[in-house]
Amino acid sequence: MIDTARPTRPTPRHSGDGAVRGTLPPAEPLEVAARRRRRAGRRRNAVTDLLGILAWVSAAVAVMLWLVSPGSHTVVGIGGWLTDAGIVAGLVATDLVLVMLVLAARVPLIDRTFGQDNAIAVHRSLGKPVLYLLLAHGALLTLGYGASAGTGPIAETIALFSTPDMPLAYLALGLFVAVVVSSLVAVRRRLPYEAWQVIHLLSYAAVLVALPHMLSVGSVLAQGTWQRVYWIALYVLALGLIALYRFALPLVVTLRHRIRVVGVEPIAPGVVSIHLAGRDLDRLGTEGGQYGVWRFWTARTWWHAHPVSFSAVPGCDRARITVRDLGAGSARLGRITPGAFVSLEGPYGLFTSRARTAPYLALVASGIGITPVRSLLEDTDLRPGEATVLLRGTDADQQYLWHETADLAEVTGSRLYTMVGHRSRSRESWMTEEDVRRGVSLRSVFPNLLQSDLYVCGPRAWSDLVVREARTAGVPEHQIHQERFES
Amino acid sequence: MRARVIVGGVVSSIAVLVVGWQLGGQPAVTAPAQQSTTSGAGTTGSSTGTGTTGGSSATGTFTGDTTQTRYGPVQVQITVANGTITDVTALQLTNSDGRSVQISQQAAPILRQEALQAQSAQIQSVSGATFTSEGYTTSLQSAIDEAGL
Repeated sequence: MIDTARPTRPTPRHSGDGAVRGTLPPAEPLEVAARRRRRAGRRRNAVTDLLGILAWVSAAVAVMLWLVSPGSHTVVGIGGWLTDAGIVAGLVATDLVLVMLVLAARVPLIDRTFGQDNAIAVHRSLGKPVLYLLLAHGALLTLGYGASAGTGPIAETIALFSTPDMPLAYLALGLFVAVVVSSLVAVRRRLPYEAWQVIHLLSYAAVLVALPHMLSVGSVLAQGTWQRVYWIALYVLALGLIALYRFALPLVVTLRHRIRVVGVEPIAPGVVSIHLAGRDLDRLGTEGGQYGVWRFWTARTWWHAHPVSFSAVPGCDRARITVRDLGAGSARLGRITPGAFVSLEGPYGLFTSRARTAPYLALVASGIGITPVRSLLEDTDLRPGEATVLLRGTDADQQYLWHETADLAEVTGSRLYTMVGHRSRSRESWMTEEDVRRGVSLRSVFPNLLQSDLYVCGPRAWSDLVVREARTAGVPEHQIHQERFES
Repeated sequence: MRARVIVGGVVSSIAVLVVGWQLGGQPAVTAPAQQSTTSGAGTTGSSTGTGTTGGSSATGTFTGDTTQTRYGPVQVQITVANGTITDVTALQLTNSDGRSVQISQQAAPILRQEALQAQSAQIQSVSGATFTSEGYTTSLQSAIDEAGL
């Protein structure tokens, strides 16, 4: 049930905590802060929209470059139509593959304005359309060439196979099929993460082996044309961003900060806090609520990278992350021995106060979702009464980090509610049965809900229900911030 | 916000495509000239021959004009012995991309065979290789003219 008292252990409340508040920086009036945030939000949105439009235009430019190439306006017969449609499909697909690479490259600009989890969501939504375009590209060109030459599709396929670089192109198509099929939700759920990851790495190979046939067989990219220059530049850009931000930068971060495990502390059944030490960790620039992709270099764990939130804002030589064993890989994390070397990609994420646009703050966390919420609360400048926190857990075992969060709430003058018990069985709700009966709602917990930034982190199905209620209640989309853990 | 991206994206994409269409509006095909010419936009170079011409007893090799097609230049050379074409060699074939090379390599032996049989440039074009065939016959005709056959 909803409980305004501190969790589990009653603690004496400060009668007047003015001393604590006195240490806060001079308060910026709520409305002024909100206006500043809205301006920043609009700027972020403008950049995001611009990047989105740029992606659209890049596909259009791909077609435009073909339109200006000689011969594109003269279509000869049905074979010509099929061939041209096949060429356009191939060009748009290639462009979208490069857009997908950029979305997966963890470019800081995209992460800061759009959020890497959103970028990955777009990346995923493009997978199937791109595959259809590539299959259409192959099929249409085979039929089109066949129709022009008066041969059947099979004879034409054999002829194409004997053209230089074309066997590689068929290999690329096969690899793309494998990558997309392995990423289908139904298939991915059955695959071990590592198997999926290895198959997904093949997409780099697919992009590279598809290139030769574009340059030698594709008439649009003939030697000496500026179309060829444009496409090669686009490839260099996309692969360069991947190389820079997914490989080079994490390597630099890892070598510069030299992070090691100093302790593994079980804090609840199946939940451990991993204490880390390193150099200049404050200069990672971690904002509260962000996560890193961690790899622990021990014999049993080095091959699995874990996206895990910081459960505290790193100090100058200490950091802490908290993990629950959700999968086989993270269960092994509990057995890491101190001294293990750690590599870090990140920090990433827009589940931070940077994303705020409203005067008040509403934080909702369940289970392990407490970790980013706790560090977010730690890292946000708050006026007394500005923030309200709601923590949810099924039972006493799920109340880890609640004390720390309660302490932070007290220091910042934030209200804290807890809700303990099983989820309602009588109807689909994110609340306990008892609270459903009592008529509790987001608006009753957060009186300023419509003027609040709502941050939700917890199991996917649960947090979707919270977000759905917020939308129904009329919270504007830009005030809803949901951390998606599976990215 | 999503709507803005979609509207902006669609509008600017259409603008880009229209610009592309306009820029590509010039005649895209450099059609092979009907008769052999030694000058003109579509044909460059001039036929040259080594050997003796005159009557029907020409002997030697004669090179046809280079004919520009949509997929690249085509040029042939003929070998003539006593007024008879004994061989046709393709010096250049459509080569703008791998597909054109593939097509012209298929078509060239057929066109050569036809030319040797017909002993003239009045030969059937190879289906699926229209541009190569047209370029081939045009260049062939100019070589035959050069030889004075």
